[in-house]
Amino acid sequence: MNGQYASLLIALPLISAFFVPLIKGLGKKAVKYYLVAITALQTGIAAWVFQQVYTSGEPIIVMAGGWKPPVGINLYIGHFAALFVLIVAAVSFMMAVFSIRAVEVEPIDKYTMLFLLLMLGATGMISTGDLFNLFVFMEITAISAYALTAYNKTGEAAEASMKYIVLGGIGSSFFLIGIALIYGATGTLNMAHLAQLAGAIDPTVAQVGLALIVFGLAVEAELFPLNAWAPDAYQAAPHPITAMFSAFVVKAGLYAMARLLYLMQAVESWHSVLKMLVIMATLTVFVAEFSALRQRNVKRMIAYSSIAQIGLIALAFALGTQSGVDAGVFHMVNHAIVKALLFLAVGHVAVTLGGTSLEHFEGLGKRMPLTAFAITVGAVAAVGIPLFNVFWSKLRILLAAIGAGYTWAAALVLIASVVEAVYYFRLIHTMWFAGEGEKVSENMALGLVMLFLAALVIVIGVYPDYAWSIAQKAGSDIFNVAQYVKNVPLMGVGA
Amino acid sequence: MLKRALAIIFLLIIGYWLAQGLAGVPFGEDRMLVGQYYLDHVKGQTGAVNAVTAIVVNYRGFDTLGEVTVLFIASTGVGALLWRKKRERTAKTEGSMVLTTGTTLLFPFVVLFGAYIFIHGHLTPGGGFPGGATIATAFLLLYMAFITYEIPHKAFEKTEGIVGMAYVLVGLIGLAIGGYFLYDWIWQDWKLGADNIGRLLSGGFIPIIYTIIGIKVGTELSGIIDNMLKEEVSE
Repeated sequence: MNGQYASLLIALPLISAFFVPLIKGLGKKAVKYYLVAITALQTGIAAWVFQQVYTSGEPIIVMAGGWKPPVGINLYIGHFAALFVLIVAAVSFMMAVFSIRAVEVEPIDKYTMLFLLLMLGATGMISTGDLFNLFVFMEITAISAYALTAYNKTGEAAEASMKYIVLGGIGSSFFLIGIALIYGATGTLNMAHLAQLAGAIDPTVAQVGLALIVFGLAVEAELFPLNAWAPDAYQAAPHPITAMFSAFVVKAGLYAMARLLYLMQAVESWHSVLKMLVIMATLTVFVAEFSALRQRNVKRMIAYSSIAQIGLIALAFALGTQSGVDAGVFHMVNHAIVKALLFLAVGHVAVTLGGTSLEHFEGLGKRMPLTAFAITVGAVAAVGIPLFNVFWSKLRILLAAIGAGYTWAAALVLIASVVEAVYYFRLIHTMWFAGEGEKVSENMALGLVMLFLAALVIVIGVYPDYAWSIAQKAGSDIFNVAQYVKNVPLMGVGA
Repeated sequence: MLKRALAIIFLLIIGYWLAQGLAGVPFGEDRMLVGQYYLDHVKGQTGAVNAVTAIVVNYRGFDTLGEVTVLFIASTGVGALLWRKKRERTAKTEGSMVLTTGTTLLFPFVVLFGAYIFIHGHLTPGGGFPGGATIATAFLLLYMAFITYEIPHKAFEKTEGIVGMAYVLVGLIGLAIGGYFLYDWIWQDWKLGADNIGRLLSGGFIPIIYTIIGIKVGTELSGIIDNMLKEEVSE
């Protein structure tokens, strides 16, 4: 089949979201199952794209409208995008299944539309090859995220969403000004074309433009000091949405940042921007881990832990070396699996037992053994114990940091990891050794999803080689800019 | 006081830095790499005499599809957050005679003008977004003049969905006929309106898409107005 059909990845969620008003008369149940069906279909398309890209080794270039870049907009579905589009779709599918049980607040039809568009936005951000188109997809992601954060219509949800809107709005405007500066300096918006012209930009303009873009994306990528919205939003959002935030929405922002940074590496002030990012990322890890320690609410605690892990990924990307980027991508994959598992399990507890404060988890091992087991696997993995998947990527990030000469950053991250172990083991202890309780029935479909994710954690932990080879391919997709430029069929424009 | 002074100094430093960056951008010079290409080829490649429209809908139509989606999310989000079991209009004072008479007389003409703007998007300044906004103002007038008026919700919501699907379908037809998503098959393959450039029936699929956008923006903004004007009432 023709590679242009990969544009269905964008068209399908969009047309399905527009279709929802026509079927909302069929009732809440029908709309929820419709959501499951669409996300399953999207996963199928994403799997096909993944298989195409990884067997041929060539990226799929989708040219919208048939215009060649840089005149038209192109999607660049290389090794990285193919992998992450699949993760986005698969996680969305699992969360759609979870939504059947977890989301009762009306209006479900609007929830379904926003859910689909959140998935669409992240897919687009990851696969686009055009700077302004990236902005458009970022807006789609961000605005559906604002609405979904406030969806429960409680006071906290409204406050969290308001914080998110204010910070996100400032971030978007920074990003837009950055794009304007870079467009003004080069006359093009296509990323591959920009990479070619980057060396010729006036150094001050490039520094200002790049810094504005990094700051703008740092809001979405939850980097310190622009992540104050994140814990509130994670806590207030409906449970499936929290898992999506952590598993791929934040990663889309992080990826966009990494992609743009590496594309612009011909710029003179590149290394100073990287240094700034290393400091921001290390602070993110450090501050978030210590904040997590103080939390009595498990969902919020895991939210902080998620932010810390994101900081770790950002650190890996900011090192500016091939091994750093590979390790960062590997950690992105592992983190997506682990955090989807944790937020799913914690959400399941909240739906069944009515809350996520630490008291609700007392005696969970006796009341909901399967869910408790899933949380245990996720927690142990998140700490980075050997034979679980996160261990390998954390190790590689630390090695890459030392290799790049940032020993202080590696040391700080290690200290933070000890803190992480403390609060996760406290949670495990509470679940298995405190409190008593009767067994409550657990949802079978969700149990299967949790078991699948837990199995994935352990399989990658025991046999990391295959996942690592995929992560390496995806990493070199970001790092090897010359190859990226060569893959995009640019037409000559102007001089 | 000290805090404020520090903040001002910090802002001045950032401002200076931004100004330095802006000063380095060569505005007005011949940096129009892609821009020049559009100006040179717009008529032949898209059949539109309004270059801005051709860029927005045809060359960069993918972005526009995204922008339409952004507006759709905004309206859906408002609908989701303001959703209550039972909501009614609670306005108490009827509009004055001038307002009610004027609204009754002007309503069709405002809608007509909005439609004119989006139908002629490929010829004159304007297009689907301003045209749709104009149509929404017609409904806003009705809301202001009559305290019990409400738009037909079900019909509006369904129309919104259908035209949204129509936009994606136009893109998919392009994929089926020309092999590319959002490919302008009407102009590039069928060559419809090739001897008609500068008149209404030209510009490939631009008028179609702008009509879709106009209807969509009109219904969406009217829906937002409706959502914001109504309040929850107890049953």
